[in-house]
Amino acid sequence: MASAPPPSTGRELLSPPTDGISNLRFSNHSDHLLVSSWDKSVRLYDATANALRGEFMHGGAVLDCCFHDDTSGFSASADHTVRRLVFNYNREDVLGRHDGPVRCIEYSYATGQVITGSWDKTLKCWDPRSSSGQDRSLVGTYTQPERVYSMSLVGNRLVVATAGRHVNVYDLRNMSQPEQRRESSLKYQTRCVRCYPNGTGYALSSVEGRVAMEFFDLSETGQSKKYAFKCHRKSEAGRDIVYPVNAIAFHPIYGTFATGGCDGYVNVWDGNNKKRLYQYTKYPTSIAALSFSRDGRLLAVASSYTYEEGDKTHEPDAIFVRSVNEVEVKPKPKMLPNPAS
Amino acid sequence: MSEGENKMLTLTETTCGTLLNELQIIWEEVGESDTEKDRMLLELERECLEVYRRKVDQANKCRAQLRQAIADAEAELAAICSSIGEPPVHIRQSDQSTGSLKAELRAILPQIEEMRKRKSDRKNQFIEVNGEIQSIKNEIYGGGYASKDVAVNETDLSLRKLEELHIELQALENVKCERLKHVHEHLNYLYIGCSVIGLDFKQTVSDIHPSLGEPEGSKDISNGTIEQLRTAIQRMQEVKIQRMQQLRDLASSLLELWNLMDTPIEEQQIFQKVTCNIAASEDEITEPGMLSADFIKYVNAEVSRLEELKVSKMKELVFKKRGELEDICRKTHLIPESDNPVDLAIEAVESGAVDASCVLEQIELQISKVREEALNRKDVLEKVEKWMAACDEESWLEEYNRDDNRYSAVRGAHLVLKRAEKARILVNKLPAMVETLASKITAWEKENGVYFTYDGVRLLSMLEDYMTLRQEKELERKRQRDQKKLHGQLLTEQEALYGSKPSPMKNQSAKKGARLSCGGAATSRRLSLGGNMLQTPRHDMPPPAKATPVIRNAKKTERITQDSLKEDGFQILSGRRGLDLAGLPANQHSLNLLNCRETESPMMRKPFSPITSTDSSRSNATKFLGDLNQKHNDMMPKMLTSNNTPFTTPSKIISAAEEENRMPQVMATPVPSTPSTMPIPMHLAMTPMQKPLPSATMQIAITPAKSVDEEIEYSFEEKRAGFVLPRSHLVNLMQVL
Repeated sequence: MASAPPPSTGRELLSPPTDGISNLRFSNHSDHLLVSSWDKSVRLYDATANALRGEFMHGGAVLDCCFHDDTSGFSASADHTVRRLVFNYNREDVLGRHDGPVRCIEYSYATGQVITGSWDKTLKCWDPRSSSGQDRSLVGTYTQPERVYSMSLVGNRLVVATAGRHVNVYDLRNMSQPEQRRESSLKYQTRCVRCYPNGTGYALSSVEGRVAMEFFDLSETGQSKKYAFKCHRKSEAGRDIVYPVNAIAFHPIYGTFATGGCDGYVNVWDGNNKKRLYQYTKYPTSIAALSFSRDGRLLAVASSYTYEEGDKTHEPDAIFVRSVNEVEVKPKPKMLPNPAS
Repeated sequence: MSEGENKMLTLTETTCGTLLNELQIIWEEVGESDTEKDRMLLELERECLEVYRRKVDQANKCRAQLRQAIADAEAELAAICSSIGEPPVHIRQSDQSTGSLKAELRAILPQIEEMRKRKSDRKNQFIEVNGEIQSIKNEIYGGGYASKDVAVNETDLSLRKLEELHIELQALENVKCERLKHVHEHLNYLYIGCSVIGLDFKQTVSDIHPSLGEPEGSKDISNGTIEQLRTAIQRMQEVKIQRMQQLRDLASSLLELWNLMDTPIEEQQIFQKVTCNIAASEDEITEPGMLSADFIKYVNAEVSRLEELKVSKMKELVFKKRGELEDICRKTHLIPESDNPVDLAIEAVESGAVDASCVLEQIELQISKVREEALNRKDVLEKVEKWMAACDEESWLEEYNRDDNRYSAVRGAHLVLKRAEKARILVNKLPAMVETLASKITAWEKENGVYFTYDGVRLLSMLEDYMTLRQEKELERKRQRDQKKLHGQLLTEQEALYGSKPSPMKNQSAKKGARLSCGGAATSRRLSLGGNMLQTPRHDMPPPAKATPVIRNAKKTERITQDSLKEDGFQILSGRRGLDLAGLPANQHSLNLLNCRETESPMMRKPFSPITSTDSSRSNATKFLGDLNQKHNDMMPKMLTSNNTPFTTPSKIISAAEEENRMPQVMATPVPSTPSTMPIPMHLAMTPMQKPLPSATMQIAITPAKSVDEEIEYSFEEKRAGFVLPRSHLVNLMQVL
């Protein structure tokens, strides 16, 4: 580790959202960053140039956003709408609506569909290519056991985490039934779920400082690989403080992952070798969202109070983009020559 | 002059007189007789008269000629006038005016001259007009129309006639114009038609009449040509309609194929003009070459290409479906009917004799049938899988038991030990398993009226075989035990006789191992034999042990827990550390126990509430607990350490889980104390803070005031958004709770 110590938190983006950041994502084609916020806006930043490139205002708080291609994206809003945003023309249109606030949104390159999960206990698939109008663009509605809290997809697999610790695994080619119905391995409310980039499983975090590593393979050998670990905790004056784990982001190349908690820390883990690789210096407030850029060289960190303790005064919301040093994310294999996966 | 004439006259008179005088003189001299003289004189006088008469006659004749000429001239004049239809110009007023005939004639001659000229002019006009008429008629009616009318009727050259001729000419010209237009129209139409169906226009037209092909110059407009043009157009139209029909058919099949195969737009674009004309009427198709034979051939080629593609895709689909069918059959251990119509049909498809779609339908039907059957069998099959896995485990155990070095401390030995322990339990449960399975199968067979076959073998017979084999093995074992005992006795006797005990019974154990291995091998071979024969690799089957949830009797579990607590409560509590080592499942247990001790905990968990375990590892743990309580407590840590799956899926604790799912702040204190007592290597490596702390709190302490809300979890976001579940849901939830 001869390299000079990186700046403690990374570069802070100018003109951040004025209220809580609900999610941020890097584009798959460039270093553009899409940010949704409780201030009812979706913003597009050029992370390398540190410039605000576009802003869309919605009727309600925006709970999630994702890219379509580099010139357009989608947003999920608390005003029940799902919108399509075209950055070049600063144009937006409503793709459809849910019966409740829309919590998560994902775009599947495999099927060309937009998938949204809502607190109305449904999942909906949309075809963004069809002309606007709910009845045209809606592909299907799939009832969930509870309100959808988090969603992630890899390839043709979609993992949906809901309230009540339900986890449904879908095959996007056959959405009529969940491929697997599971229950979270963790005892507490699910905060975030993210699929492994290699498509073999998913990581799931809870409000009680813990992350479970799960595998899709239902065979005994497959299931024997799963485990959970504790993180984002602090012992202070004889009291153990456990923080919710709000965000998980996988490194696109190494398969290692970063977690962000309400303690303001970002930790990088090597899931195969069960090691923590790095801990970044503390951010001013809770980590609301994390995203690696397409090549894994940049990590966007949303430092934004996530309302875990209700309405209170808190640090200003900020987005930090830090360049990632290889040693921070590269797995360090221990003596075992062939790691489990 | 008159003086001169007179003089001449007088001279002549004098001459005559003098001559007479001279004669008289002569006569006097001669003395002629008077009679002679008289006769002479008479003769002279008669001769003189004769001369006079001749001259007068002459003059008379001349006059008559003159008159004749005048009359002739007048007649001619009149004729000319009448022929050109003009009033006679010269009406005889000559009687009074002009005196002499000669003057009259002189006057009439220029008139005649002029009239002649006019007549010839008129005649030329007629000839000209007639010629034109003739030529037009020739054009219209063809060369056959002879020039009979060319000779102009000299008698009637009147203006009226000319006018008539002009009118006729006009009419003919109109007709010609009309026809020319007609021809042009036809040509135009023909041109467009030719370009559409891709014929050489010039060639076509030249065949009809050479003049039509010329870009410049007059066109032939004869009846024949027009008729030919008309037929040519008609023919062309027929061709066009026919080709259009062809193209339409092609287009519709194109569309159908595209639709069927999701052809990309780019590929479709090339034939867009074909398909967009599918509904066009005949005269809407105007694009050059649209209906040319080449183009149709081209489209036809595309259609046949797509057709081929479709066929190949269909074949592919058929094979895929067949694969699927086989797959399902294999998975459900059904033997597909051997002389399957599907197999035959597939051969037929390959040879191209049968339409793939109907085969596909057949296969689909078959698949659905098999699926239905599979569903029907599923229940039993699951049990079979479990049994098979147990059998595997059993044979493994036997093999393992034969291993003399099994207790040596090699790396991973604890894992094997643990597996053996599990296997033993499983083997103990085998007879019951087989029994339930058999009863299930008989029930199934009764219900369905057919034998339940597994890879073609009747399952019940397989079970029976297995049971007899087992019994044999049991007997063998018993016999061995007896023998061993006997041997022991023998040894003791020997010892009593000769003192020392011979060293361990190596050959004995070897024998036993050998024998057992025979049995084990037989079992496994038998079990795997069927599989091999039917190409179902055993390892393909999902191992049922841990992954498939076993619904355990909640009551039983409860009883065990309570019993264990009652009888060995202290041990369990003191053995908590050990249990914790075993990871989450055990952990959960200890947590329960812990929680029931910590009555000050704000948690509303009911102690020892019924627990249904869906996870077998969990249930194993429970069972261990039960077993161990009955046996040696000091064994417990070891056993549980060998249970090396720290974080298997947590058990489904129906009521307890619901309570645990509540927001962390509700459960404040006791939570982290449990996880913190988990010294698993991974955690040491990963989690920075490790110290077990007596009382830890989650720093999230927003306690909603409403009691209903306390029952429902909400995420931070939902709270922030003020999202509240609808009332109806709350009621449901309450009922569930």
